[in-house]
Amino acid sequence: MTSKSNSNLVFVSLGSLLVFLGLWELLCRMGFIEPLFMPSPTQIIARAVKMLDDGSLVQHTLASTRRVMVGFVVSSLVAIPFGIFLGSSRFFMAVFDPFISLLRPLPSMSWIPLSLLWLGITETQKYSIVFMGSFAPSLLYIIEATKSIDPLLVRAARNLGASNLDVMREVILPGSLPQIIAGLKVMLGIAWTCIISAELVAAREGLGFMIMNGKEYFQTDTVLLGMVMISITVMIIDVLFRKFERRLLPWTRQ
Amino acid sequence: MDTPVTPSAETPRNGIMENAAPKISVKGVTKVFSSKRGEVTALKDLSLDIRDGEFLVIVGASGCGKSTLLNLVAGFDSATHGEVLLDGRPVTGITPECGMIFQQYALFPWKTVQENVEFGLKMKRMPRSERKERAAKFIDLVGLNGFEKTYPHHLSGGMKQRVSIARSLANNPQVMLLDEPFAALDAMTRQVLQEQLVRIYEKHRKTIIFITHSIDEALLLSSRIVVMTARPGRIAQEITNDLPHPRNADVQLSDRYLELKRHIWSSVQAEVLKSMEVETR
Repeated sequence: MTSKSNSNLVFVSLGSLLVFLGLWELLCRMGFIEPLFMPSPTQIIARAVKMLDDGSLVQHTLASTRRVMVGFVVSSLVAIPFGIFLGSSRFFMAVFDPFISLLRPLPSMSWIPLSLLWLGITETQKYSIVFMGSFAPSLLYIIEATKSIDPLLVRAARNLGASNLDVMREVILPGSLPQIIAGLKVMLGIAWTCIISAELVAAREGLGFMIMNGKEYFQTDTVLLGMVMISITVMIIDVLFRKFERRLLPWTRQ
Repeated sequence: MDTPVTPSAETPRNGIMENAAPKISVKGVTKVFSSKRGEVTALKDLSLDIRDGEFLVIVGASGCGKSTLLNLVAGFDSATHGEVLLDGRPVTGITPECGMIFQQYALFPWKTVQENVEFGLKMKRMPRSERKERAAKFIDLVGLNGFEKTYPHHLSGGMKQRVSIARSLANNPQVMLLDEPFAALDAMTRQVLQEQLVRIYEKHRKTIIFITHSIDEALLLSSRIVVMTARPGRIAQEITNDLPHPRNADVQLSDRYLELKRHIWSSVQAEVLKSMEVETR
């Protein structure tokens, strides 16, 4: 019963999307909308076919995805152990707190000028923007996650002979992993806004570059195609991330 | 009352060496907790010796400092005055020699039953195959065969506590500290686990300190019972439990059992009333 009504709801969603696209197409064809400001769905699809043909669409999408992934993975790999360490040491938390507090409010955009000055229009510069945009908030998520651990479990582990390092590795890390992953999911979205803004400002490839370049040549269909590609890519990565999450946390499965 | 209970100092201890040095020695321990609302003395000048292989049950009203005492023995906390000795050496930190069993089980939810039981062995860097073998032995001892790969949230409370007992035993502590371990379980499960614990005690002869507020539980399990006073906690009474084993239904209906129960209740009751007065004041 529920599954049937669920699949019906999928058709409702699909239907509403098709109606929307149909209306949009119709308004364009009837001349109510100027194609320069808003090209029709078929124009965008035609652009997509053309860019798939010459390989540029795949190239831009992969370039942005790669930059997000490298920046995000490096930032997470540093933030997870560092966050767990800070979460279990009040002394070092106090040492690093002022810097984290100063870094956290800075939007990744504000790092673009400095990063261009230091690194030029390079891949490393793109990675660094993603890193700077996601590191401090990730770190705070992880420190917060370590606080959700039941202190009784830490006691039990110590009572069974666990050292400080054992407690971090065997109790705090796995115990806060569900919250860490929830936080990283949000951070992955933020990493995408980082990379698109970096590419809008200065890049030679990537979806942000594609959008900016489309605007320069008054190819509004390229601009919209770039935006649609961002949505689709983020959606696909989100699904993959969820699969990965389920594999990583078998004990939370009911 | 016609002296139904002999003071422990004069009682012969069933099978336990009288002159041997105590396994655990609590010497003049005072514990004061400071908070914003002022200081609370949880324990005051408490002294207690526990002999090797003894099953000591501590009974007392809630808030009498029973758990505080256990935490001091386990090394989770340190005394404000006085000291706790384990085999004659002062307890200065958390020691795996004193395995703790918590009322809330404290199992690691991300580890399977087997991984939980293996935890202490993993901390000792025991090789995987050896760990597995040893864990299997203790999972078997508590009757949880077939649940090795199960995660704790699929287990009932009674099963969780059995995992916790197996986890502690696998680590082979000299002393087992149990902090109201069966308080959260239903009556039937509690009875099964009590019997299981007695069997484990008889087989492994650990020194056990067991905290409860159930007098029946104390009488069923203990070789000696200590009644604690209301806050600040001190020892109100010590009773050697000379009830015969196994302590089955017949024993539980015997005159001696009822006599001991009445005796303990009269002193616990006085303490409960005292602690209620403190709270309402």
